[in-house]
Amino acid sequence: MSIEVLDPSHESDARAFAPAKRLQTLEGATVGIISNGKKGTKPFFDAVERALLEGYGVAKVVRLTKANYSAPVEPELLNEVERWQALIAGVGD
Amino acid sequence: MASVPQEKRKPALRSKRYALDDVMAAQEFFHSRGWTDGLPIVPPTPQAVEACLEWVLMPPDQLLGIEPVRQRAITAEKLAVNAVMAGCLPMHFPVVVTAFTAMLQEAFLLHGATASTGGCAILIVVNGPVRSELGMSGSFNALGPSDRATTVIGRAIRLILCNLLDARPGDVDRSTLGHPGKISYCVAEDEEHSPWRPLAEERGVPPLASAVTVLAAGAPRQFMNEWTTQPEEILDTYVAEIRANMRHYSIWPGNYALVVPPQLRAHFERAGWSKADIRRYVAQQARIRRGEWAECGKGAVVGERGDREYAAFTDENDVLVIAAGGPAGGFGAVIPPWYGNKSRAVTMAIGACVDCEV
Repeated sequence: MSIEVLDPSHESDARAFAPAKRLQTLEGATVGIISNGKKGTKPFFDAVERALLEGYGVAKVVRLTKANYSAPVEPELLNEVERWQALIAGVGD
Repeated sequence: MASVPQEKRKPALRSKRYALDDVMAAQEFFHSRGWTDGLPIVPPTPQAVEACLEWVLMPPDQLLGIEPVRQRAITAEKLAVNAVMAGCLPMHFPVVVTAFTAMLQEAFLLHGATASTGGCAILIVVNGPVRSELGMSGSFNALGPSDRATTVIGRAIRLILCNLLDARPGDVDRSTLGHPGKISYCVAEDEEHSPWRPLAEERGVPPLASAVTVLAAGAPRQFMNEWTTQPEEILDTYVAEIRANMRHYSIWPGNYALVVPPQLRAHFERAGWSKADIRRYVAQQARIRRGEWAECGKGAVVGERGDREYAAFTDENDVLVIAAGGPAGGFGAVIPPWYGNKSRAVTMAIGACVDCEV
């Protein structure tokens, strides 16, 4: 005897988001780094910043840190993002 | 042809439907899609889901809230589908709805609590007449599988997290270890055998109302103290567990739940101690110095701040005292929060939506 059942999942579009368009070059760009603020991110992003400035011709690196690493980034920080050409979001422990 | 009167037309369920051979086929169908917790599920038929919605007087598309990080709408229908799967009967559903609505409140920080490597589960504490109506037991095995209602309600919450928020291991849920409370973690307070006011009433819910309190919680830390009748000494054991959690897991303050079974409760009652007295004492005593980290392998982060004191509570009302447990045994338990106060306990009264048209 067959049974009819309902889908328990959210059934949202599988494509949650589309990645942003890639830059052709980082030369002269302003790159922002939003860190989740955990201790290990500082030296890691220090190294990333050096690499971007010295190795990729990035003009400026802006470093921001979330107030709460367990919560989404504060809207005020996102206002800065519009001034950047690229963003690196740091998730780490 | 006469049209069906409005009041007799049921709102349509919107979930996708599948025709399966039988109950056993349903098990593999749901397991293979990652829709279960590994245990068998009750197939969520339209009739069973509609029965849950009728019980709470909600249309299928009733919006309980939106999880802001994933921008995911949480509807009554989807909660009901997962509740049925967990083994909930319609009468269990109001508790499920209220618990998840409480979890959607901003203070609970649902995304963080369910994604973190910290591995907490959702503790649900139930108060009020609903406990008797559902046959809940706050006695033997209070923190384990004490009765059908608490087991299936706790399980429903986990299935909802998995299926509506993708909080599956390795998906959004990045817990390193997790703990068994992630299967089900629901406890009914033993109000009838307690000298104290129920937890929900202490947190602002009117007397005699049914309510739930949800907490992003670690595993219970059980201890034994049968060697004193002094309230302070009993609480010193609770405090020792809190201090150990601060040293070993997280130093940050938050909501700690203190579970007090009858054998220990009797001493407080004899001494005339209220929950407020317990909260005051525990909040005062539960402190450590940063330097204590050096005694448990964390000396590298003590630095020059070894004398700095950390308190487990910034507010004594953050101590959640719960009367529960079997009649014998000098045991108690401390349930610590997930990593301090990033997520706050939320208490919400249970009510049906009487304004909804079905």
